Amino acid sequence: MKRALTLLLSLIMIIGLFTSCTPAAPGADTGGDTGEVVKVGWIGSLTGDQAIWGQCERNTIQMLVDEVNDNGGLLGKTLELVALDTQGKGEEAYTVTRRLIEQDGVITILGPNSSGEALGTIPALEAGGVPDIATVATNPKVTFDNGKVNPYNFRVCFIDPYQGSVAAAYAFNEMGKTKAAVLYDQSLDYSTGLTEFFIEQFEKLGGTIVAKEAFNSGDQEFKTQLTKIKSAEPDVLFLPYFFKEVGLTAKQARELGLDVDLIGGDGWPSEQLFDIAKDEMQGGLFVNHLDYADPAVQDYTKLYTDEFGKPPELNGFLAWDAFKVFEAAVNKANSLDPEDITKALEGIEVQGITGFIKIDPETHNPIGKEAAILRIEGEEYKFVTKYSVE
Amino acid sequence: MEKFIQFLINGIAIGSIYALMTVGYSLVYSIMNFSNFAHGGVIMLGSYFGFFAITILKAPFWLAALIAMTGTTLLAVVIERLAYDPLRRRQAPSLYYIISAMGISIFLENIVLATLGADFRNYPPLFQTSGFYIGGISIGKLDVLILVVGTISLFGLMWLIEKTKIGLAIRATSFNLRAANLMGVNTEFVIFVVFGLGGLLAGLAGVMYGLRYTVWPQMGLITNKAFVAAVFGGLGSLPGAIVGAISLGIIEAMATGYISSNLRDLIAFVLLVTILVVRPSGIMGKATEDKA
Repeated sequence: MKRALTLLLSLIMIIGLFTSCTPAAPGADTGGDTGEVVKVGWIGSLTGDQAIWGQCERNTIQMLVDEVNDNGGLLGKTLELVALDTQGKGEEAYTVTRRLIEQDGVITILGPNSSGEALGTIPALEAGGVPDIATVATNPKVTFDNGKVNPYNFRVCFIDPYQGSVAAAYAFNEMGKTKAAVLYDQSLDYSTGLTEFFIEQFEKLGGTIVAKEAFNSGDQEFKTQLTKIKSAEPDVLFLPYFFKEVGLTAKQARELGLDVDLIGGDGWPSEQLFDIAKDEMQGGLFVNHLDYADPAVQDYTKLYTDEFGKPPELNGFLAWDAFKVFEAAVNKANSLDPEDITKALEGIEVQGITGFIKIDPETHNPIGKEAAILRIEGEEYKFVTKYSVE
Repeated sequence: MEKFIQFLINGIAIGSIYALMTVGYSLVYSIMNFSNFAHGGVIMLGSYFGFFAITILKAPFWLAALIAMTGTTLLAVVIERLAYDPLRRRQAPSLYYIISAMGISIFLENIVLATLGADFRNYPPLFQTSGFYIGGISIGKLDVLILVVGTISLFGLMWLIEKTKIGLAIRATSFNLRAANLMGVNTEFVIFVVFGLGGLLAGLAGVMYGLRYTVWPQMGLITNKAFVAAVFGGLGSLPGAIVGAISLGIIEAMATGYISSNLRDLIAFVLLVTILVVRPSGIMGKATEDKA
């Protein structure tokens, strides 16, 4: 009996070993009936804390791949998506990037959905010579570090300094705030990046940072930090992290009687923010990549909702744009060679749903993308204004 | 001074959540001499049970807690039967139990990810978020509820262990499993009860945690802190577990409040290591040789 069980378990493990590899194998054969197959990769978090964003990106890209194939494919070839999970980790992103390049032979990689992961891809991409177009990786170092551009990393979103600076400038100039407090996640590149540039801009304009408190990823309890912040008497509280913690922070702040205005970045908008803290988030302002009322945005939202039964997360919009940029680069290069696509990506211009994207050949960032300031009213994000700082 | 009291209250609030989780570790450790890392997964599922009881069955809060506790008790017992019982029959060393427990913990997390997805879920609010104030000090209503429920259940548990017949059997077994068995204690049943009790408290902890924060598949990770608290208080000792948990909560709050929020975990864990170096059995633990 026991031996049978052991045998069964080992059998399951062996089968498991094979099934995890199979997606790569049949792809090469099934392409036979529709002409040759060419593969595009996507990486991002399908499990882990940020999984809902990764899942939305993958769904969006799959939708676009199907659409391309229905319209005759890419340069006449059937496009196949290979989507791999990074679990939201940089080291895992490195591994799956290498796998996509070495085993699957993808021509371009789309994603990942955060800076920590994207930073992990840099060495793998340079070794493999395949370009990557990140979606919501906003840390500057992803494409440009120490005065040198990373040759294969591109992105369609604006960068952290910009978000942090926009939030600071808006709070100081438009809201008339002079005493800001910051609570941030010190184990998150995204959060430390936004914090640094928020503080720099706010102090440059003449405001004071009265409190700067930290927590670690996975924390749910911020009351002690908020007690300290409250005693510093700020008039605005900057929360540069993701909606789950943002919602909990808002709840706990209100519980402590800390009633200041809240301001944040693109980590805020999520369909789930309101489940956590709808009342407490009212009137909160955040910097975002797009205006949800824009007609182009609504077309995609409807398409996605019809297909998957729930509205897309912010990442879906940028995943859409990343794919469109990739498609435009392939058509511009008129080639499926990764090196040619990389060259074509530099300086490419595409009208995306999050705005006009022109990739700067010097930094591989989109140039001059305007940020949108949105306000939370009821369960909606009301567009306030487009805002930019120099 | 006002700030100090507020920090103290924050510390006790988070500490009492740790306590509910920590006791489950300590109970199992006292009998089986291994750290049941599957406990985090059971707490996570307890949180989901409570959530679905409230949202789908429209159960009132107390009933939802009861449903969750029943669910996790069954789950804990089933885990014991499937994963640990076969090891015990083979008299495997503790290391095997720990590995098995980690496996279960990963399994539970991933089965939730695969079936329910990675979405966060939120209990409908039981109270308005506003706390009440004494002077300038705010006290959350939920924190009070958690403290009261936690205190009642932990005292109930201690009564059970100290005053009842099954409690005597548990104490005997924790003292020496073989000897207790030879003296006619049904140790199989004791182990069964201990896992059941651990599960019961896990369900309660899960519901409380979900109510206070949110529910998501990786929430079992918080039990790392609970495990630390158990070691801190002395693995295997119930009062130790509670003292350890509350102290950890207070130390964290004080470190954040008076030193720096950046250094909170650093300070808390340096203190932990220091205590273990000075007193390897923790604050109130029984002296043991195998603490893993």
